[in-house]
This record gives sequence, C-alpha cells and structure tokens, in this order.
Amino acid sequence: MRSQAMYFKVRAGDKLADRLLQQNLAKARSKFVDARAAAVAAYDGDFEALRSAGQGIRDRVLENLDLWLETFEERARARGAEVLYARDGEEICRLVTGIAQRHGVTKAVKSKSMLSEEAGLNAALTAVGVQPVETDLGEYIQQIDDNEPPSHILAPAFHKSREQVADLFARAHGKPRKTDIPEMTREAREVLREHFLSAGMGISGGNFLIAETGSVALVTNEGNGRMVTTLPDVHVVITGIEKIVPRLEDLATLMRLLPRSGTGQDISNYVSVLTGVKGEGDRDGPSHLYVILVDNGRASLVGSEFQDMLRCIRCGACMNHCPVYQTVGGHAYGWVYPGPMGAVLTPLFTGLGNALDLPHAATLCNQCGVVCPVRIPLPELLRRLRQRQVEAGLRPRGERIGMRAWAWLARRPRLYRLATRLVVRYLNWLAEGADRIRVMGVAPEWTAERDFPAPQGRTFHELYAQRRRTGEE
Amino acid sequence: MRVGLFVTCLVDLLRPGIGFGALRLLEAAGCDVVVPGGQTCCGQPAFNAGDTASARALATRVIDQFEGLDYLVAPSGSCAGMIKVHFPELFGEDERMRVRALALADRTFELTDFLVKFGGELQPPGDFRGTVTYHDSCSGLRELGIKRQPRQLLGRMAGVDLVEMAGCEECCGFGGMFSVKYPDVSAAITDRKCGQVSVTGADAVVLGDLGCMLAIEGRLRRLGDERTRVLHVAEVLAGEDC
Ligand code: SF4
Repeated sequence: MRSQAMYFKVRAGDKLADRLLQQNLAKARSKFVDARAAAVAAYDGDFEALRSAGQGIRDRVLENLDLWLETFEERARARGAEVLYARDGEEICRLVTGIAQRHGVTKAVKSKSMLSEEAGLNAALTAVGVQPVETDLGEYIQQIDDNEPPSHILAPAFHKSREQVADLFARAHGKPRKTDIPEMTREAREVLREHFLSAGMGISGGNFLIAETGSVALVTNEGNGRMVTTLPDVHVVITGIEKIVPRLEDLATLMRLLPRSGTGQDISNYVSVLTGVKGEGDRDGPSHLYVILVDNGRASLVGSEFQDMLRCIRCGACMNHCPVYQTVGGHAYGWVYPGPMGAVLTPLFTGLGNALDLPHAATLCNQCGVVCPVRIPLPELLRRLRQRQVEAGLRPRGERIGMRAWAWLARRPRLYRLATRLVVRYLNWLAEGADRIRVMGVAPEWTAERDFPAPQGRTFHELYAQRRRTGEE
Repeated sequence: MRVGLFVTCLVDLLRPGIGFGALRLLEAAGCDVVVPGGQTCCGQPAFNAGDTASARALATRVIDQFEGLDYLVAPSGSCAGMIKVHFPELFGEDERMRVRALALADRTFELTDFLVKFGGELQPPGDFRGTVTYHDSCSGLRELGIKRQPRQLLGRMAGVDLVEMAGCEECCGFGGMFSVKYPDVSAAITDRKCGQVSVTGADAVVLGDLGCMLAIEGRLRRLGDERTRVLHVAEVLAGEDC
C-alpha cells in the first residue's frame, strides 16, 4: 500500500471537518475503552502480572528470534507445510501470485491479514486474474466500498455508521436496503458462502506462530477464518517473522491478554490452532499449506532501540485509547497501521523521512503505554523517533534554531530573567487589561482555536526578589 | 527539612501566584523553603522535541542547583515527572551524571504528593468555597501516580465539595508543542474535556499542571464559558491571595 503518512496534518484537518465521520467516531469512541476496563476489572487474577508475563514471553522470543524461526520452520515442514520468506511487500505479492498460478486458482478467499495490506496484495492478485474476496465482515465492507483501506486493525470499518453500510450493501448486493444488523450480516454471509465454496485458495494472517508444534494460531470473531483455512485446497498464511511464541502454553498466556485488551472479550469467538496439511483420514483441511514469513523492516529492528515495538500483538488497545486516534480516526495516519503503534511502525517500516508528522502527532499522554498488554513504551519510542529526526536534520530549520536559542537562553539565568520580564510585559500589553489574549501575533497557532490566559503581571522570580528585599528591610 | 521549590518556567511566567501558593503550603507543612535563584526550565520542551543535547544541558543545570538540598518540590506533575523519570534516562551513557540524576530523582516530588507524604495533618489555609472537579494530568497520573493526593488534601477543606467528572484521567489535548503543531486536533480533544467539566456544573476545574490549565481555560473561554474557573490545586489549597 502506498503511504500517505506525509500528509497527516492535512488529512487530520479533513477528518475533523468531516461531520459524518465525527458523528461516527463520537458514537464508537468509548466502546472498546469501556469494554476493556470491564474485562480487566472482571479478570480473576492480577492483570498487571499477566501483562508482565506477556512482555516476558515476547522478549524471550526476540532475543533468539532466528533460533525460534528455525524451530518453527522445521516442525511446520515436518507436518507438510512449506515455509517461505518474503523480504518485502513486493516479494509477498510475487510468492502469492506464483502459488495461485501454480495451483490454477482464479479466486482467493481472505481472512484478515495486515501483511497483505502492507503488500497491496489484492491489487497484485487482481492483476494476474485472481479475484481476491475479503471475508472478514469489516474487510468485506471496505472492499465493496471501492477498496477503501481499513481504519482500525481489528475493526476495519470502525469509521462507518450502520446507515452507510446499509447503503453499501443495497448497492453491492442489489437487494432491498436493510438496517437491522443481524439481517445485514445474514445477507453478507449468503454472498460470502458462494465465494467460500468456489474459491481455490484461502489466504489468512497469523496471530501467532507456535514454534514447538509448527502451528499457526488464528484469532477471529466471525468464523470466516475457519472457512478460509479449511475449505479451499490451498491455504496461504502471511505473517510477520516476529509473531513466534515458543510453546502452546505461551499462546494461552497471550490469549488471556489479547481479546481483553482489544475488544474487552474474555476470549474471542474463535481461536484456531492450525497444524500442517490435511492428514490421512482427515475430513477437511487444505492439501497444500504455505506459510510466508515476512520481514518488511522487522529484522532491522531486532537489537535496535526500537526492538520493544516487535513485542506488539496487534490488539488495537493503543489506538482505542489514543485521544488523537479517537479524534481523527485511522485514515488520517495514511498507511496500514494507525494510532500510536502506527505512528511508531510507519516511519520504521516506510522510512523516517516518509512519515515526519506521525511521531509528533501525539500528546505523549501515555494512555497507550498503560493499556498495552505487552508493555511497549510507545511514548518513549515516539520520542526516540523525534530524536532521530533531529539527528538526521529532518526537522524544519526554524524549529531547530528556535529550540536551540531558547535552550541557550534558559542556561543564562540573568538574561533569561530579563527576557521573561519583557515577555510578560508584552503579553500583558496584548491582553489590553483583559484576563486573556484573543489573538497572539507571535504564536498565531495557539490563538487560532483558543484564548491565551493573560499573565498575572510580574514573573515569579521578579516578585520573589522584591518580597525578599521588603522582607529584609 | 530544606526543600528547594522548583517554580517551573510556566508558573514563573504566567501565574506566579501558584508558586507563592506552593511556598505557603510548604512552609505551613513545616519546611524550610529555598528558591534556588538560577533555576529556569527543566528542559522538557527540548526533550520532547527530540533535542537531547539541549535537554541534557538544562537537566545538568537543575541538578547543579538542587542536589545540595533535601528535596525538590514542583507544583507540576509534568516537570516533576521529567526530573524523576526522564533525567536518569537522559544520562544513560554518562555514569557519573546518571548517578547524580538518580540521586535527585529519589528526592524529587510533585507538590501534593510531597504534602501528603511529609506534611502530616496539614490543614490547607485556603478559603475556597464551592464545588470543584479534578482533572488528572497525564504525567502526574501515569508517571508519578498522582491521584488520591490532591483529592485527599482538598477533602480536608470544609468549603470544598468535589464532584468527579467522567473521563477525569483523559488527556486534555495540550501535549506541549502538539497544541501548536496541530491546534485543530488539540482543540477538538480539549472540547471533550470541556464538555465533561461542564456536565458536572462545578464552579471550578482544579488541576496540577500549567499546560492543562492553558489548554482548558483557553478553550473554555473561547467557547464562551465565562463561569467555570480553572484553578491550580495550589491556588485552592493555599488561597488565591498569595
Ligand atoms: S502496541 Fe500494544 S496496545 Fe498497541 S496494538 Fe500493539 S500490543 Fe496492542
């Protein structure tokens, strides 16, 4: 997917001006937040200890990622899977289209895979004559809406209202418009069933890879994942190299964290652990299983100051709780991953210079950091990205010089006192005796949206010195 | 007990009364308060902008100024968080400075936290009467665990009636330079906070950080709310006549 992350500022402005989107976001805003709070409160154990355990599992994997990958590869192969590696999105497309052509596939059903979004896989499949059909309800909605990208990693159509979806369905399905959600889902299911039965290939993501068994774990809420991975004769898994966990037991720990953090469920509706191809006597399952393990920038983070980010289990909690995401929605971020995790991943995966706004598009409130199930210090990582921008000379000149000049002044107290006395007098002159400034020439951005409370009159240090003098007399 | 008051750059510039309020409270708690003359800013703006060199230079100055005192107290969760949590990180490679930063971090406190820990049964001298609602600032809450401390102190004041707002732990949208880089997004976040404040009908929203104060008061006034006062917790506890 081509990144639009350079245009965050403009896009965010557009999203704020979009009345319908704002209404939809206002309605959806607290849903996952409240659900997580309730799930954590109801958890009959120490959730903070669980978070630490989750972090520990992910950290141990990342310390020896190559070894765990070897183990996974060996065990998965032993069960008849073919394990392939893709360096980047282009290679994902090449591998998947190649597999489709080898098996004479003309239609592929897909359950959600963010990696396929990274690669722009649907366009590549279409180009070689393979029809990709998204079967996750949210992804399906996005696909029939002219392939609009998802705005949330769990709920791709998070930004749409029921009315908008009703219109889309009526148009795409050519049936009378419905607004009752169960009826709408039933209608989508009928359409999708045809595709499930006629597709030659299933494409899925993988939430976790289990090294000891060579299995792929899939976490879904709609059951479409089961159809995609068992009905067609060919199943292709596309997932990141960092998704490994050592043992099944680790999966159990992470599964206690993932649904609770993301959607506030105790457990997702479906958890599938898929191991190998259809065995002798098995009634269903694919005869061919390909697992494509993708780098696309991940390997370079191992051992770097951004390694913590690889712990991410894609639960969505950080975006759900982010004041900026809640305000502008996912599309403003301009690439596959929105919210705090996206603001970290996008510059790391697509280049520091290609997403200059994102690390700054955060108040650093750390609401993300305290809900992240694997304790990723997101604000710290954003700050590090800001540092890298400064070091690489990627910040505007005025900003850099301004910051340095201010810091220079702040190291010289006498001069600083003089400057602050002048600033206070200037601000008071601007306030014209009122308790606020309505238009501030030197920082017009501030007073564009709010007043600036006028200073009380004198600086603290000025008054303090004065009081000391009179006190001593 | 010699306590160094770290006034913070924004209090110095905009609302010195908060600094004098902090002074009065610390003295009422029996502290010998010193205001080191060379202090300016903790360097957080530079740190958050990614200018590590400037941040280090300013941090070094704060350490120089305050390390001889028993405690450093700041009427700001944000600045106290910078000193307590981030100063040691800043000097990760410089062992000598890191040790000094850690030593200062151990003795650094946000004002209400300090008053609850070391102020005994301090009776706040302020005479505020009315209902207040409390906004938890992000750094204070999530870096330092400031939550019950201000409420405990306000609870000792007979005239103060605390009504909690929904979402009191949500960010106000300030975010330092964020509010200048993305004024529209910042204001939209603040609007939610203003709405939550208004619903309580409180006479004042009380908070512990100047940044949040600028954001909330600035937006409330722009939206036409002339009634709701925006007060720093030190102003309420100490009285506004400082
Ligand atoms: S960064 Fe943490 S909170 Fe965000 S999606 Fe990843 S695991 Fe979830």
